[in-house]
Amino acid sequence: MIFGYATAARKRRDALAMWVVRAMAGLTLATMALVLIYVAVNGLSAVSWDFLSQFPRDGLTKGGIWPAVFGTLGLALGSMCVSIPLGFGAAIYLAEYAKPGPLVTGIRLGVANLAGVPSVVFGLFGLSLFVALFGFGRSLLSGCLTLGLLTLPTVVAAAEESLRQTPASFREAALALGANRWQAIRQVILPAALPGMLTGAILALGRAAGETAPIIFTAATAFSPALPDTVFAEVMALPTHIYNLAANGSRIAETRPQQFGTSLVLLALVLGLSLAATIIRAKLRRGRKW
Amino acid sequence: MVEPVIAAREVDFWYGQFQALRGVSLDIMDDEVTAMIGPSGCGKSTFLKLLNRMNDFVPGARLAGEILLRGQSIYGPEADPVDIRRRVGMVFQRPNPFPKSIYDNICYGPRLVGIRKAAELDVVAEKALRAAALWDEVKDLLGKSAMELSGGQQQRVCIARALALEPDILLMDEPTSALDPIATAKVEDWIREAGMTIVIVTHNMQQAARISDRTAFFYMGELAEYGPTMELFTSPKETRTENYITGRFG
Amino acid sequence: MTADAAKPEASRRDVEPPAAERTTQAVAEPASVAPAGQPPVERPFVALRPRLSPAEKGSRLFFLVCAVAAMGQMLLIMVFLFGEAAGLFLGQDGQPGVSLRDFFLSEDWYPTYDPPAFGALALLAGSLSVTVCSTLLAGPLGLGLAVYLACVAGPRTREWVKPAVELLAAVPSVVLGLVGMAAVAPFLQNVLNLPTGLNVLNASLILTIMATPTVASLGEDALTAVPKDIQDASYALGATRWETIWKVTVPAALGGLSTAVILGLGRSLGETLVVLMVAGGAAHIPLSVFDSVRPLTSTLAAEMGETAIGGRHYQALFALGALLFVMTLAFNLLAWRLSRRWRSGR
Repeated sequence: MIFGYATAARKRRDALAMWVVRAMAGLTLATMALVLIYVAVNGLSAVSWDFLSQFPRDGLTKGGIWPAVFGTLGLALGSMCVSIPLGFGAAIYLAEYAKPGPLVTGIRLGVANLAGVPSVVFGLFGLSLFVALFGFGRSLLSGCLTLGLLTLPTVVAAAEESLRQTPASFREAALALGANRWQAIRQVILPAALPGMLTGAILALGRAAGETAPIIFTAATAFSPALPDTVFAEVMALPTHIYNLAANGSRIAETRPQQFGTSLVLLALVLGLSLAATIIRAKLRRGRKW
Repeated sequence: MVEPVIAAREVDFWYGQFQALRGVSLDIMDDEVTAMIGPSGCGKSTFLKLLNRMNDFVPGARLAGEILLRGQSIYGPEADPVDIRRRVGMVFQRPNPFPKSIYDNICYGPRLVGIRKAAELDVVAEKALRAAALWDEVKDLLGKSAMELSGGQQQRVCIARALALEPDILLMDEPTSALDPIATAKVEDWIREAGMTIVIVTHNMQQAARISDRTAFFYMGELAEYGPTMELFTSPKETRTENYITGRFG
Repeated sequence: MTADAAKPEASRRDVEPPAAERTTQAVAEPASVAPAGQPPVERPFVALRPRLSPAEKGSRLFFLVCAVAAMGQMLLIMVFLFGEAAGLFLGQDGQPGVSLRDFFLSEDWYPTYDPPAFGALALLAGSLSVTVCSTLLAGPLGLGLAVYLACVAGPRTREWVKPAVELLAAVPSVVLGLVGMAAVAPFLQNVLNLPTGLNVLNASLILTIMATPTVASLGEDALTAVPKDIQDASYALGATRWETIWKVTVPAALGGLSTAVILGLGRSLGETLVVLMVAGGAAHIPLSVFDSVRPLTSTLAAEMGETAIGGRHYQALFALGALLFVMTLAFNLLAWRLSRRWRSGR
């Protein structure tokens, strides 16, 4: 039995290794769950309808966060107005028209690396281009443009993947019926790919809502007495509100409930969007007939 | 002499450096079913796709020689590939309905040529579905997604979709290779009774024998033999043909 | 196939070549393209190209512009970063430029003193310290989670845990920063009896929570991409599950796993809010994990609000941004190369 020797030892080692892996996974997941629960428990007491619907009062120590909610929704939706047209356009080019070559390699390299550029660097870029050079100032508009560029790689990658998953046979069939290429894309490929492309956009929307560093430079103000009336106005936003209360304020301990309350609202918004996208994507995958 | 629907004259074809067809000349006659057989990679599908310019999308594709559709060159300077594809219908190996309703699938081509009125489209759709012998099966399901039909029904929706443009000729690229025997029989029945010009590529020699009037045997990019199906199968002139139909290779 | 057979055809085309602009493109050199060993083809031919109508050309151009804009953005970022940063080193308004030597080798970061000092070494050390510490934690933990998801967990567990992990990667960093300030800092301060809980250790722990889901998710993708047949082969030879994972699956996925760790590292390096809130903010080179540090990103975020646009301090902050950009770009390119080699290797 030369081959069977030490079988028991190997089995023991196997079982041990499996438990180590399980323990690592369990520890990691438990820690993360703990963090979320901690925020939820501390935040829940602060969140109420008044908290969501009122303006902050008394040097940010009382009142609600309505302008920050409004600002974050405005920034996130506004950024989609930049990244969806540009991102979908780029994805259609890459998936439908591009032939392998230096240009396409360059585009792919550019987009892939863009995804790894730190968000604070996007903030610097937005500051020097939109705020300073274009003269938009620190404003909703500058913030939307900056966040739009920041989320572009996410939108392009998801849209291209979705386009590539539509079968080549759709394209062939449309062309064989006398459609030209653009008609084939618009009438057959886009309708099939659009749900997947929009799912990617929802993920990007969540990311845009949670970003802090880029909007510190380009859009955010600590307090505004009214909602912005033009796109050139500064806005409050949930992430910067949390940061200002927790790290910049003079009454840090006093405003802890607001900090956690705002965090819970932001978390619900960001995770809600991501969860929605994840569920839609899973449904799409299951329901797909091609 | 009767003018052929399609006349190929000394056609050479390359994919980049690879020559896929050599000196292919053949005439396809009105209202006949022409089968193209031959071992894998012999060029039969390539030739079929040349007839409606679907090879235009292959990078590095080049063609020498001439292919005439009713006497007009389909690769000449005046030819419009989009127009040619409307006149030369095609059905693919796997059923490929769009993820739309049956009705919208059938009306896709007619809408492209500018038919917009619902009443006209209804007429066109019914005519196409009747021509594809599918009307009785789907007339109550026209709003249903074509993806929910069985494979055989999907393939016949694809046939109806091609017929809606009233093409001069229908190309079929192994149309039954993804279907079960019963669905295959239905498609074959349709081909026999359609009474239109059909060119069908098949790897199934029995199928070619059952449904075609003429058969073209391709071998290594050349047209090895072309003639009435009965003759080609019973008394082939070429040894290559004989070897193939008796199963000695391929 | 002879040239003679096509003579009439050839002469017609010679007189009147196909109109290139409409349907197909005439190509001039017909002879040299025959496959090796075949006699050269001397007939004229047409190269088949899809025909584009004006509407199609327009739409195609639009999409190309979008794609080029997406790429151009990368170049534009570089132009602006390096453009603003250059002012610091070249000097302006009669003030001398800062030497590269001072910028990289001096620990003194006193941007608002007179004369100011712009030495980035302490800030760089701050960034590296938290990045290295968090990668040492997030790498093994993330890969462990990846192995669990890809090779150990049952399909039902996996179906739930994998999306949950991806969801955790989306938690805004400012929320994690708050947790670091409100919970981890007092805990560290009390338990370890430190002057402050805002230090390298705290920042690394929070960065670990942030980066682990990224590493796990990418790592899992790499492990599941390993072909099933080589794993089956290992089992068929009598290997245990762990032996198969360790000796077959993990080595086969090594490129993708390293990419996952590098991208997680890049995320830690570029993360701003966590370090801004919990690293303590002291601009000196840390001697232990209990020291406070001031990484590049938090320096940017904390000081940009106080600077005048176009001033020396503003330029110095762009120089820090450029340094950060170059470092993350290097890591990204490394990850891109590793993942490509790994993909082309199969």
